[in-house]
Amino acid sequence: MTALLEINGLSVRFPISSGLRDMFIPGRDKHINVLDDISLVLKAGETLGLVGESGSGKTTLARALLGLLPISAGTIRFDGHALKSKQSFKAVRKSSAMMFQDAVACLSPRMTIGALLIEPFIIHGIAIADRQAKAQELLNRVGLAADLANRYPHELSGGQARRVGVARALALNPKLVIADEPTAGLDVSVQGEILNLMTELKTQLGLSYMIITHNLAMVRHVSDRIAVMYLGRLVEVGPTRDVFKQPLHPYAKSLIASEPQPDPRKRRADLAIKGEIPSVLNRPKGCEFNTRCAIARDRCRNEAPKLRAISSTRFVSCHFTET
Amino acid sequence: MSEAILRIENLSIGYDAGICQIHALRSATLEAHAGEVIGIVGESGCGKSTLAAAIINLLAPNAIINSGSIYYQGTDIFSLNKDAQRKLRGQDIAMVFQDPMTTFNPVLTLGDQLIDFQQHLEGVSISEKRIRATNLLARVGIPDPSLCMKRFPHELSGGMRQRASIAAALLMQPNVLVADEPTTALDVTMEAQIIHLLRELRSDYQGAIIVVTHHLGVVAELCDRVYVMYAGQVVEQGLVDDIYHAPKHPYTSALIACDPAHFEEHTPILPTIAGRLPDLMNPPQGCSFAARCVLANELCRTTVPPWVKISQTQSALCHKASQ
Repeated sequence: MTALLEINGLSVRFPISSGLRDMFIPGRDKHINVLDDISLVLKAGETLGLVGESGSGKTTLARALLGLLPISAGTIRFDGHALKSKQSFKAVRKSSAMMFQDAVACLSPRMTIGALLIEPFIIHGIAIADRQAKAQELLNRVGLAADLANRYPHELSGGQARRVGVARALALNPKLVIADEPTAGLDVSVQGEILNLMTELKTQLGLSYMIITHNLAMVRHVSDRIAVMYLGRLVEVGPTRDVFKQPLHPYAKSLIASEPQPDPRKRRADLAIKGEIPSVLNRPKGCEFNTRCAIARDRCRNEAPKLRAISSTRFVSCHFTET
Repeated sequence: MSEAILRIENLSIGYDAGICQIHALRSATLEAHAGEVIGIVGESGCGKSTLAAAIINLLAPNAIINSGSIYYQGTDIFSLNKDAQRKLRGQDIAMVFQDPMTTFNPVLTLGDQLIDFQQHLEGVSISEKRIRATNLLARVGIPDPSLCMKRFPHELSGGMRQRASIAAALLMQPNVLVADEPTTALDVTMEAQIIHLLRELRSDYQGAIIVVTHHLGVVAELCDRVYVMYAGQVVEQGLVDDIYHAPKHPYTSALIACDPAHFEEHTPILPTIAGRLPDLMNPPQGCSFAARCVLANELCRTTVPPWVKISQTQSALCHKASQ
């Protein structure tokens, strides 16, 4: 498989508002590193799950990939082309699409569903002969009734709004779809429908997915590989099955162990992880996880670990991975 | 078993929607005993929030109580006057809300608010109230509680704020604690910590805890007994182990089967429940789940199902439950 998306050493920094005091204290770092040295490859036809808790930088990474945020360091290559200039990002947005987190808020309340589905063609200047027919074809593809084209977003249920989001993302036949929390706020019975639809369309249209989520139970079933993020850094990357079976990074371990099991016979007596996620404003020195890690030693407090290869498929950034 | 602290009988609540009524809750019956943790679980639109709002007596202004009653320690709370109802709230029946962001007043310090919450505590000085509040904050696991008393809500993280709101609810030592989606707004690792805290608190807390959630994992981790709701009705109730391992209502089985956390192995096609919720303006004549149920026959569509007692502790609202 060839690499569709190659991220190398990507960093995104946000300036923090500098008050009067900062003007008189030279040399103070007025930036926070929201993403720090991310390197990741997405192969064609693959589903990659990007997991982490709030503030871990998952959404920032997705936005940076589509050029919706300025990149401070590193390179992104999509389908063989380096992404740098505004033009290159604009071209990328034709062949990669994003499903945003809040499906209902993504749909302009004053436009009909039909108009919303045609919008991507207008934005990218692609001529289509019959707009009505195109909208209906897209609705049909995601299993919605054709008469929905004349309705307004507020008339849709949460699950229908997601389907419209999928239809819009697929309108321009993209190669890559980045789905930000595709099932957040949906009931379990509807969540399955959306995921099954996404899986079906993937095989039909030969898509690649990057699924951003905090829902581990879901990502386990839909992704081929997962990447675990913590405080803007990748802590573990590997095939989903292997990572769930035997997580290597202590954070991945406790994250997987924290997920409540829907089985009263599997109640956990102990807490997998204590403490809270530190703020990116005061990123801990050394390994960012050392404040909550059970196996942290002196080295972890001073030296930040790099993402290193454990095997040909698994990568982890921890000094003391027990394998 | 001892007399129930809280007993809800045949409670039906509708919302006035102008030309018609939305029957959000239909003949719900529930019992909570001291020292017990009850789970109310269901998908959106099942009436669980209406039930929670009725218990704490904070129904929306357009809510209409069609029939039924809530007995708190033997007295029907709907028969009390407004003043007496208000006195119950907070002191006898307290609530932890879903969103810890909006639980507290943003312009007052936590300490001031926690002292104000004790205004009905007679013969206790302000300094004693402050000590009580500080001790409780320490009990719910807030590091440096006296500093926390001086903080404003926005200075705390989501997890800490949810701990503080649990402390606020427990201040008056209520007999019934209602927690409405207490972990939904939190990250997985924080969720595990709050579940752990609630489990710890139940040992030194004498009253009943009612957890309202859509998350099957939270119920499995926390509760002794569960009420499963669908389309405004309680459809099955029983011990948590029976409900998860021997569900008798087809909806309960389908709901549990849908949860992706259930499968150990990679399952690309997730199970779903076909169809959608019935229209609550005109609830179906027979069983409300009949249209989506694989077992349904003519009887189910036309006749209201009976409560079938399966064992001492488990019963289901289904024609087929006895088979």
